[in-house]
Amino acid sequence: MAHDPTPLVESLLHEIAGLLADLAATGQGARIDLLGLPIGPAGRAALAERLGRGEVEAALDAGGTSEIWETGFAGVWWVRHFGADDRLATEQIEITTVPTILLSQPEDIAIAASRLAAGLAQHTELPQ
Amino acid sequence: MMDPDSIGALLARRGVSRRALLKYSTRLAALMALPAGSAEALADGLARAKRQSVIWLSFQECTGCTESLTRSFNPTIENLIFNIISLDYHETLQAASGTAAEAARLAAMAANKGKYVVVVDGSVSTRDGGVYSTNAGHTNLEILRQTAADALAVISVGSCAAFGGIAHARPNPTGAEPVSAIITDKPLINIPGCPPLPEAMAATIAYLVSFGKIPELDHLRRPRSLFGDSIHDRCYRRPFYDRGLFARSFDDEGARQGWCLYELGCKGPVTYNACATLKWNGGVSFPIQSGHGCLGCSEPDFWDQGGFYRPLSSNTTSTGTVVAAAAVGGVALGAVSALVARRRARLARQETTP
Repeated sequence: MAHDPTPLVESLLHEIAGLLADLAATGQGARIDLLGLPIGPAGRAALAERLGRGEVEAALDAGGTSEIWETGFAGVWWVRHFGADDRLATEQIEITTVPTILLSQPEDIAIAASRLAAGLAQHTELPQ
Repeated sequence: MMDPDSIGALLARRGVSRRALLKYSTRLAALMALPAGSAEALADGLARAKRQSVIWLSFQECTGCTESLTRSFNPTIENLIFNIISLDYHETLQAASGTAAEAARLAAMAANKGKYVVVVDGSVSTRDGGVYSTNAGHTNLEILRQTAADALAVISVGSCAAFGGIAHARPNPTGAEPVSAIITDKPLINIPGCPPLPEAMAATIAYLVSFGKIPELDHLRRPRSLFGDSIHDRCYRRPFYDRGLFARSFDDEGARQGWCLYELGCKGPVTYNACATLKWNGGVSFPIQSGHGCLGCSEPDFWDQGGFYRPLSSNTTSTGTVVAAAAVGGVALGAVSALVARRRARLARQETTP
């Protein structure tokens, strides 16, 4: 006998709708941690089907891979981070304009700038 | 300018990007049930902090807690915890032994006086001065008191350190006691379980390092974010409990259908832990998903609660605490457990009536 995920999925969709309205009105984002809910694979699949796919998909490789896509509802993102052996480490619904993890981080930018400058200096040194 | 001794600088030297740290922090923030936006604050706090000196003391234990922490953190984001802490003393993991090992502990204590964290796994023998468990010629009791004296905080990992565990089970020949019975003047966090979830250990330590304070705790000093819900509340078999559908043996039709394991002794209704959501072995499964009831290993005296395969409702141990909690939980959660308890009591009376 399979557990019917429908009530939980409906409840989640109502929560997402409320948070999305907040984002539209105030710019305030939110996250829902799916791994903290007893939703199961069937529930995830049902939720994914209801939310659909939107215009953006991204793949990350930073300390393991990540899958990120905007759902069919602008501002609602599905974010999956994987750890070792491609095991799911985090799965969240983010209600935001763009997930922070996709942005280049200031610290990484500073290091990259130094690295690029050093590489160019080395490359342009004239042979003695 | 980044402090060259900070965790952020260390990670950068090791080629770990801030984005990877943010990803790790996202997981930790989810584990600690922190509000949206906390992942960024957590990552920032970790990056600015210096590596936390940790002295790990192992007493009357089985090394399962260390196994849980180390075996579960394979390369990629999970092993970042070992970049966040400086494990200055750990009998099982360190290369040094004998006098050199003890010297390392004393040196770490002196170098980080008032700043180091003591992690303890295992209970502490107290009978006859604690002579039943010694190390390097000193009792566990002595070593704990000496090491904790100048600690910032103490974390008891595993049910033995937190509640006494198996060594504390009746008749408790060594006078085993939890750390909290001995160290009473330091901030103390319990992360029970037999073993505890590795994520619970890592997230608690990372929170401490990043925010410089202990997380919110429950009445048993467990992080509320990780131990706030019962196994039962988060169990995927809960709908069967609510409908009164129970497996009555491990191979009956109910078991095959995946029904609730309450009548087979599951202690989920009175056990607070995150196994049902985080699961084990990288999120593969947890005992109930594998067809076995919860043993209640993150609760005090779980070993002495009347038998792993006896339903909560039939528990008749001298403490009576579990059966009371089960009945109350049953009322709150649909009265099923209390009804079962009454039914069993009626049957018991019929059996004993001549």
